[in-house]
Amino acid sequence: SEVPQRRRKRNRWGDASENKAAGLMGLPTAIHAVMTSEQLDAYTLHLRIEEITQKLKINDVVPADDDRSPSPAPQYDNFGRRVNTREYRYRKKLEDERHKLVDQAMKTLNNYHPPPDYRRPTKTQE
Amino acid sequence: SILAGSGAQDDHRRSRVLCLLNMVTHEELINDADYKEIKEDIYEECEKYGPIVELKIPRPAGARTSTGVGKIYIKYEEPESAQRAIKALAGRQFSRRTVVVTEFPEESFDVEAW
Repeated sequence: SEVPQRRRKRNRWGDASENKAAGLMGLPTAIHAVMTSEQLDAYTLHLRIEEITQKLKINDVVPADDDRSPSPAPQYDNFGRRVNTREYRYRKKLEDERHKLVDQAMKTLNNYHPPPDYRRPTKTQE
Repeated sequence: SILAGSGAQDDHRRSRVLCLLNMVTHEELINDADYKEIKEDIYEECEKYGPIVELKIPRPAGARTSTGVGKIYIKYEEPESAQRAIKALAGRQFSRRTVVVTEFPEESFDVEAW
């Protein structure tokens, strides 16, 4: 069989109409105020945390075009249920990113409050 | 409009330079092939709104994080193109992340003062 070339990812752009999380978080995406670089960083950090929060809430976690990354070998829990489904893997990825960002926000932003549904990760997994 | 000619903000609005935020992570900019694809995707989309002078995507240098990394900067030939691009791009998705757009001072772009 032929060796596949490194396949170009499809174009990364998506329409605003497909962007469900953006509508729900209700944060401005065109900024006309003059902001410092630090203010923009703080705003982007806050917006990304809100965006992930909405994605987790409405379960918009698996990309529609998820046909390019091969799935890992299935893993099962003690009850024989598969644990590393696509949904599980993508959800975990977003949760991990959010933990990192919330940590960063707590360190760098005054009076930062994490989203109400946010729980700190427990160290007892696996 | 009543707000027309309101000093500093108005000047800022005539900038031909845009800064796009929340589109790329530091990790995605490390790999040369990914970087090239990202740059192509962005250039291709952004030139729909007018001729581009230059597109700058700061990359991470070592472990040190610098301010511009993770942001995208585009200089158009005309301020009108920049305004068209803001309207068209704000709120769209790039790698499933919501695109945030703001004007950026031309002088800072030219000397790469991110």
